[in-house]
Amino acid sequence: MASRKSRQVEVRMVAEYLKTTYSSYMFITKQPLGQVPDQLAAEVGMKRAMGMTRPFRPEVDAVVIMPGAMVLVEAKVWNIVNGLAKLPVYKALVPITPELKQYSQLPVAMELVVGWTNPNLETMARALDVRVRVFCPDWLGLIVEDMHKYWTKDYQEARKERLELREYYGIE
Amino acid sequence: MPLGNWVMLEQGIPERMHFSAFFKGTRDIIDSVTGRVVPKNVAEFDVDRLNGQPTNAKFSVLAEKLFAQLEPYTLDNTYKNYEFVVTRIGAGFTTSFSVQVIPLGK
Repeated sequence: MASRKSRQVEVRMVAEYLKTTYSSYMFITKQPLGQVPDQLAAEVGMKRAMGMTRPFRPEVDAVVIMPGAMVLVEAKVWNIVNGLAKLPVYKALVPITPELKQYSQLPVAMELVVGWTNPNLETMARALDVRVRVFCPDWLGLIVEDMHKYWTKDYQEARKERLELREYYGIE
Repeated sequence: MPLGNWVMLEQGIPERMHFSAFFKGTRDIIDSVTGRVVPKNVAEFDVDRLNGQPTNAKFSVLAEKLFAQLEPYTLDNTYKNYEFVVTRIGAGFTTSFSVQVIPLGK
């Protein structure tokens, strides 16, 4: 039950990480990136155009605004490499993001927040100039542990039994 | 003219709030689809400043997606040290929320 994604694991993880690490600075979660088409902005106004295009623009988990830098933060429990690969692409969109225009003079740093790491991830991150931060509070540790056990025979059998019991008792 | 007792989020419109108190519990809510009254777990904040103006309103959070972003500040009552700009994105089951966290005095 603890590893169900519907518990907003990554949202909770990034919120706790930001509070723990950047509590003195302003930050924005789920910041859309990239340009808003000029033609649309001219037709309906920039504010409305931002709202209309929001579902189609990529979103970074968080942007931290510090006096000397802007930090793009992506947090991942599952699909860690996807998170890593997204960050340099997101960084390319920062200069054309209207919401971040006022901070455009700041250098952009990239951080991948993960519950666990490994040497290959660190090597890839160095190559992309991304900092890897391991953030694993107790509640997340249990989820990471379950994730690592997922493919073991014992875990699969216990999971099968749990799902059968849930079906038997009609638990969603 | 609305009484302004509750802060309602409109899609794409950011609301900047300072919270002075927090409550988590059960409230009877009218389900918008079935019309039935159902008990729901809610998080409620007293809002004493809204978009820079003093107010005496409440902000009610039903969505786990939003509460997950605010919860760390409720555990130690540090929400009083920040202003939160909350923007609702999308509608229905695809709704998500952007939260800007601003330390007081910044």
